[in-house]
Amino acid sequence: MEKNLLEVKNLKKYFSTPHGLLHAVDNVTFNIEKGKTIGIVGESGCGKSTLGKTLMRLHTPTSGQVLYKGTDIASMPIKEFKKNYRSHIQMIFQDPYASLDPRMSVLQLVEEPIRVNNRKLSRAEVSSKAREMMELVGLAKRLENSYPHELDGGRRQRIGIARALSLNPEFIVCDEPVSALDVSIQAQILNLLQDLQEQRGLTYMFITHDMSVVKHISDDIAVMYLGQMIEKCPADEIFRDTIHPYSQALLSAIPIPDVHARHDRMVLKGELTSPINPKPCCRFAARCPYATDKCRAEEPMLRELKPNHQVACHYAEKFVK
Amino acid sequence: MGERILDVKDLVIHYETDEEVVEAVNKINLTLERGEILGLVGETGAGKTTTALGIMRLLPDKVGHVIQGHILFEGEDLLGKSEREMRSIRGKKISMIFQDPMTALNPVKTVGDQIAEVVELHNHCSKAEALKRAQEMLAMVGIVPERYREYPHQFSGGMKQRIVIAIALACEPDLLIADEPTTALDVTIQAQILDMMRKLQRENGTSMILITHDLGVVAEMCDHCAVMYAGEIVEFGRTEQVFDNPKHPYTQALYQSIPSLDKDVHRLHVIPGMVCDPSNLPEHCSFCDRCTKKNENCAKHDPWIVDVEKGHYAKCFQYTPEWEGSAAAAGEE
Amino acid sequence: MSKMHTPAMEKIEKKNAKRKKPLNPTPAYESWKRFRRNPTATIGLIVVAALILVAIFAPLIAPYDFQTQDYAAMMQKPSAQHLFGTDQFGRDIFSRCIYGARYSLIIALFCTIAAFFSGGLLGIIAGYFGGKVDTVIMRIMDIFQAIPMIMMAMCIVAVLGNGIPQLVAAIMFASMPTMARNNRAAILRVRGNDYIESSEAIGCNQFQLILKHMIPNAVGVMIIYFVGFLAVSIMMMSSMSYIGVGLAAPTPEWGLILNDGKSYLTSAPYMMLFPALMIMITCFAFNLMGDGLRDAFDPKLK
Repeated sequence: MEKNLLEVKNLKKYFSTPHGLLHAVDNVTFNIEKGKTIGIVGESGCGKSTLGKTLMRLHTPTSGQVLYKGTDIASMPIKEFKKNYRSHIQMIFQDPYASLDPRMSVLQLVEEPIRVNNRKLSRAEVSSKAREMMELVGLAKRLENSYPHELDGGRRQRIGIARALSLNPEFIVCDEPVSALDVSIQAQILNLLQDLQEQRGLTYMFITHDMSVVKHISDDIAVMYLGQMIEKCPADEIFRDTIHPYSQALLSAIPIPDVHARHDRMVLKGELTSPINPKPCCRFAARCPYATDKCRAEEPMLRELKPNHQVACHYAEKFVK
Repeated sequence: MGERILDVKDLVIHYETDEEVVEAVNKINLTLERGEILGLVGETGAGKTTTALGIMRLLPDKVGHVIQGHILFEGEDLLGKSEREMRSIRGKKISMIFQDPMTALNPVKTVGDQIAEVVELHNHCSKAEALKRAQEMLAMVGIVPERYREYPHQFSGGMKQRIVIAIALACEPDLLIADEPTTALDVTIQAQILDMMRKLQRENGTSMILITHDLGVVAEMCDHCAVMYAGEIVEFGRTEQVFDNPKHPYTQALYQSIPSLDKDVHRLHVIPGMVCDPSNLPEHCSFCDRCTKKNENCAKHDPWIVDVEKGHYAKCFQYTPEWEGSAAAAGEE
Repeated sequence: MSKMHTPAMEKIEKKNAKRKKPLNPTPAYESWKRFRRNPTATIGLIVVAALILVAIFAPLIAPYDFQTQDYAAMMQKPSAQHLFGTDQFGRDIFSRCIYGARYSLIIALFCTIAAFFSGGLLGIIAGYFGGKVDTVIMRIMDIFQAIPMIMMAMCIVAVLGNGIPQLVAAIMFASMPTMARNNRAAILRVRGNDYIESSEAIGCNQFQLILKHMIPNAVGVMIIYFVGFLAVSIMMMSSMSYIGVGLAAPTPEWGLILNDGKSYLTSAPYMMLFPALMIMITCFAFNLMGDGLRDAFDPKLK
């Protein structure tokens, strides 16, 4: 399979907590094609960030495989990963306020990845490469000596993007890159990410809780709930043909900026719990309005219902339109 | 026309520090009728929260100053009240909900006590009565009343926000100011909270100011809507008017920059440039540098608020083409 | 240019007009600005600076030698000749207090540096690596803390005799646990930030993470502890000298001068008053400065 850049197979990441084993990412399987964007949606605590950081090897996976161009990067020693693959997979962080060292100037921040990864380059070469990156992401040259606290959110996020891009990665994990930004800035950053993807053939994994953003930028969308992937399908299909009850509820909960669209929502009861020592049952059963005894006794597997549309629900057929 | 509960006139609020003067709120006018919900939308730094704190008279000491204006609440000017009088108004007549429910609650007191405390303070009733009221309030916001003896950490984020709302509503205030009440919450929880707030508002007839940056929330909740930009209200009207027929170029651009769920666009519309520095606002239109519809007046004078249709105002020169002529005198004044 | 003009704006405009060029607001410069704006901190800094000058120029300031005994002028009350009076051997207390500043400041500095490089370093290591390393280091520190400081000092003095190195060692061992704990907390706080993870993601190794990101960001907090510790060291040193397990007799150390005066407390209270005042003022100044530094480096921490 040449066209898949990344194949994730049964990836698990458990954390041990005082209350038991937290199944942050549980048996997640998916593929990402080269040059495409997969959107990962879910509420806070559903494991979407952990998934991103596990792919980056910022967390060591508990088990499972991550095949990057056919090589398993999940099980290789961390040293080898850092040496050969770190620059291929990069990450853009959620909070541009917290993810930049406050004691470094803009230029220093953009220089850092270039400097630590290319020891042979001279100072001047590093700086000129950093300036190139700044130009690429639309940071004016006069901002070089500014510090992150003087800049607005959009510019800070551009620094984050420049840092990630300066290593020439092929795959970028975008962990809620626009959630902390205002809408007008959000549009600038989303456009920038799209332009960069077109220019450089980048592959994105776009993690967010915002359905409208994910729909705009993704080719495929995967919905996560309590560490599991419960639905995965092409982006336009999830809005036309939502199958999993949780995805339906998630979509119906979004406030739509149209006065005439005031609709009766499907309001879920209860809240997301944390997946500590989960029982073998459907994790959504407690909040699902359609749950039956089967849901509470048996864990549904992700299965292909239609071409490219996978759902983890016992009664998925019932919800197909 | 209902009764006017709040009338903010020409309000100007500055933050003064040794380094700079931030013009946070510039001559805003707002009206709110009893039983209605007013949405205050705008981006970070537009002055939404400052307006709310100004109304509550909770601006940070020494730094925040009301430079001019009036805040008429039920016909009385809040700015003329003493701190003592304000204390009896806050919580009893006007309540505020803050963005972060995690920090708004006292971690070492039971939630029942925290609700009862407000009731006791304002209604001068016995502890037992107050606790009974606290349980009623919990039931009203959808929490089992028996949990009144539990501490905040035993509740989840959405539940805490419900408790904060219960505290705010315990004395049946006439006006509730909610500052981004659902921003810290997930969408499904946000849906629950908004649903509950709307239900409570209908049942009790509370007037509400809802501060948010989410146009979707405004569309679903509000009767009237005010769009703020750089400390000014650039557009005000009934929510349908503002959403169906936005008049100010900023509102229009904002509307276009949100990715839509049902339309496919390849590239999003972008508002060029950035918000001007609030410590150095121009004398002319604050939005003019980013505006696509500006004319020669925009960079010279500050536009005034124009009636574009009944009850729908916009602060833009587009709607006064005859400006150079007769209106010049009024503008210079 | 503004929507409305207020007197406050004019004031700032005037101030800005005076400033020739805008300074580059590096984080360090911002901290200094915040420090300078704090009046109590500035007072602390001035007093500390004055004490340092006094210590350096002690021979020039002091009118008498600190150990010359003048039997013609014993137990004299404060006067123009003897500002702080004289003690039972006729030594000038003013001169002894002036020279005392030398001993106190230098020894306090040594103690703090020693504690910083022993305890502080251990704390940084414990904070960065966490897990078992953390547990082992911190439990050892707990054991250290369980030994009373005075007892440890007495043991050291009993074995090695009175003297400056022994005193420094005693204070160092006594301060190590607190120093370790403080520095560990400072590192832990920095470590939790996203930018550490972000730097890890772009390929920084552990060494670069600690040196380039953690220490520069924790250094503000560490300076605060450092200054705070100077005051604590001075207190410890004086109290140890006072009970006789610190420095030996003729040294003009404030605690020793206090000790000299204690037998004459009723007849000649000034013999204790002045050295006690010196200790108090010094510690007070260091604490004021420390508080100011905390506000300057960490405006959120208040």
